[in-house]
Amino acid sequence: MTEKFDDKLDRAARELATEISPKRDLWPGIAEAIATPKRSRWTPILAQAAAIVLLVGTSSAVTYIATKDSNGPIVSVAPELVFEQAAFGGNYHLGPGFQDARNSLRDDLDVELARLSDEAREDVQANLALIHQVIIDINVALEQEPDNVLLQQKLLRAYREELSLLRRVGGLTRNVMRRNDI
Amino acid sequence: MEALLTATSSDYSREMVSAPPKSVAGEEAWIGQAQRSDARAFEALYRLHVDKVYGLCLRMTGNVSEAEDCTQETFIQAWNKMLKFRGDSAFSTWLHRIAVNTVLGRIRKSKREQDRIQAVNDAQPARVATGDTGELRDLAEAVDRLPERARHVFVLHAVYGYSHDEAAEMMGIAAGTSKAQLHRARRLLVQQLEEQGFEA
Repeated sequence: MTEKFDDKLDRAARELATEISPKRDLWPGIAEAIATPKRSRWTPILAQAAAIVLLVGTSSAVTYIATKDSNGPIVSVAPELVFEQAAFGGNYHLGPGFQDARNSLRDDLDVELARLSDEAREDVQANLALIHQVIIDINVALEQEPDNVLLQQKLLRAYREELSLLRRVGGLTRNVMRRNDI
Repeated sequence: MEALLTATSSDYSREMVSAPPKSVAGEEAWIGQAQRSDARAFEALYRLHVDKVYGLCLRMTGNVSEAEDCTQETFIQAWNKMLKFRGDSAFSTWLHRIAVNTVLGRIRKSKREQDRIQAVNDAQPARVATGDTGELRDLAEAVDRLPERARHVFVLHAVYGYSHDEAAEMMGIAAGTSKAQLHRARRLLVQQLEEQGFEA
């Protein structure tokens, strides 16, 4: 077989049809698939709304905490406030460093919360619960739409907010303790 | 074989199943609307490009049912990834890349490819409707019988005109591997066609 022969073969191959009409209309199946909530408008809007609520709620909680001192008894975190294993959609994973930091802060949370007033404690718990719900909602959406960059960013932001809130609770209660000591 | 290899476009192109020329005047607008979740605009894009995508899927899989599934999956994935299309390449090229990934992904996932090859070897299946006629049909059938990777490289490079670099990138292989597979494909095609009585 010569190079000329290869050229002829390639030329014949180029003659093969590259555009072929399917025997049946494939659009109905596609239309049905894309009509599901996988890419519906409400998902990013919900995520955005939740993120806004999250930011406002967190800011309010921290502001409130900063104005309160408390020496109340040590209590457990509300049972409904469950820290699940951090997830990031179906196809992604958060790093071990993040998980370690989260676990560490969560371990200290009961002690830290016990130093807050009842109102402040409830506020923090409510905000953490809100963050968790947002995380769950976005994760559910990500399961349907794993490549949605907007959702990924929102989820990452939610986890950061959670971590930030946990840290701020710890910092604030240490400040409270130091002021009481004085 | 000589007759096959000296075929000219005037012999066959009129008989191809290729869709009639379609306007792409509205394509850019449809892309923008589809990126804003407009399903009707996306349907227009589907109508414009389905033959190109289905053709590639059919050439790569050699199976009507698989090609239909791959085509649908390609467009569903395209819908989900519309925001990622930045216009760096033609929309049809972008769809082709998704289609290639879809075909390869399905093969890796289900290993249906082995079943398909076995089916081809065991029995002569009904010829898939590619629109190829006469001796081009013999070439198309010989291409269908090529081993998976050699067939994919041959289809992308020899049939669709992608460079080795482009084909290699789509398939996730080295350009050198693409060249080697093309060489292998050519040898096997000659062997098959000669067995069918063609002479080079």
